[in-house]
Amino acid sequence: MATFELYRRSTIGMCLTETLDEMVQNGTLSPELAIQVLVQFDKSMTEALETQVKSKVSIKGHLHTYRFCDNVWTFILQDALFKSEDSQEIVGRVKIVACDSKLLTQ
Amino acid sequence: MAASTTSQVYIQVIDDVMNKVRDEFVNNGGPGDEVLKELQSIWESKMMQAGAIVGPIERSGAPKPTPGGPITPVHDLNMPYEGTEEYETPTAEMLFPPTPLQTPLQTPLPGTVDNSMYNIPTGPSDYPSAGNEPGANNEIKGGRPGPYMQPPPSPWTNQNQNQNQRAPLDVNVAYVEGRDEAERGASNQPLTQDFFMSSGKRKRDEIASQYNAGGYIPQQDGAGDAASQILEIEVYGGGMSIDAGHSTSKGKMPAQSDRPASQIPQLDGPIPYDDDVLSTPNIYNYGVFNEDYNIANTPAPSEVPASTPAPIAQNEVDEEDDDDEPPLNENDDDDLDDLDQGEDQNTHHLVLAQFDKVTRTKSRWKCTLKDGIMHINNKDILFNKATGEFDF
Repeated sequence: MATFELYRRSTIGMCLTETLDEMVQNGTLSPELAIQVLVQFDKSMTEALETQVKSKVSIKGHLHTYRFCDNVWTFILQDALFKSEDSQEIVGRVKIVACDSKLLTQ
Repeated sequence: MAASTTSQVYIQVIDDVMNKVRDEFVNNGGPGDEVLKELQSIWESKMMQAGAIVGPIERSGAPKPTPGGPITPVHDLNMPYEGTEEYETPTAEMLFPPTPLQTPLQTPLPGTVDNSMYNIPTGPSDYPSAGNEPGANNEIKGGRPGPYMQPPPSPWTNQNQNQNQRAPLDVNVAYVEGRDEAERGASNQPLTQDFFMSSGKRKRDEIASQYNAGGYIPQQDGAGDAASQILEIEVYGGGMSIDAGHSTSKGKMPAQSDRPASQIPQLDGPIPYDDDVLSTPNIYNYGVFNEDYNIANTPAPSEVPASTPAPIAQNEVDEEDDDDEPPLNENDDDDLDDLDQGEDQNTHHLVLAQFDKVTRTKSRWKCTLKDGIMHINNKDILFNKATGEFDF
């Protein structure tokens, strides 16, 4: 199963990365095993988002910057409005990083 | 999506990762199950600190107490706890161990036991209050130095002093430099020098009135700027000797020039006004252009600081230069070139997802995203599908 390392930049991914760094520096964990944990996290996170999350969101805003490089779209929005089923958020500046979903199905 | 649902998804992801990597930790000479549990506990605690997991972690697969098993006692806070354990009552010796009494001893000067020479302030009168307070005692007490300490005389200016009559030093007493035993016996001053001034602050007009009309303050510490006699260096065949106070016919290097020795004229920097002679010279703005290239998000200056133009010769013909045209990026309003520039690190809003389709019609962008995580306003929101419409 192909995975993205995209979700390592999320809150749960950063917390895992910091924990693994501490344990590797303490000597309680080998770097190879830490990489295996991160790879498994990529798989588990992708699977959980596919199977357990069912919500829909709409995003509107002013596109300040766009970039497409290495099959990754990067958008920077200004005055963005996020509407979900039960909440609505307004953000002055937000970055969107999106990978190509077709690469996972190949 | 509610925060509780996000927490549940995160907990399931943590459990799934732990279950899938357990074989690598336990088998094949791995670090063991204890390290795996430690990893899980630290990970969950960091998630709670970040606010991604809200409330206590409730797992569906939590071990339930088996019927007929031992019942763990629950201590209710509403009921008085009658413990069966016996605890040792803490006594005063346990809580506060006795510390040995430390009596400060004063070291007397060698050859005397007179305690009057220790000028230790014992009352409020020894610490004069500031001069701006009403009713403050601004008089200079007898036996104390004046408001401005005089510099100690240099050993080579008073060469007639007998340097061999110095008393042995005591580290507990601050000696006044340059006084010999004869002077000490004649004076009634204590041998310590009190460094408390008569007033809390020195004012510029007080200082200027003490000295000559130019407002020049003589140097009071360090090496002097100008010596009071000719300082010469004699270079011989194998060595060099420095003599002071006498003259020889061998190459003199006088330390004094024809200028007066009391003041060195200022040669560089802006000349201060007359009333600012005594102030700190660093207050003047020298106009130095300072640009820090070590700060990551420091934007480059809009214009490069122009250097001082060279004087144009009079016989040079005035020509219209091609360099007078404005720079190409003068009309750019894009002051945020870098992606991360200008973002507040405390509220870093980020969306991580996968895209299905991105289209553009003129300046209208549309995209469809899926399986994403949004971190907005310190909240994590998970979504399965997202549609975006942006105008560029």
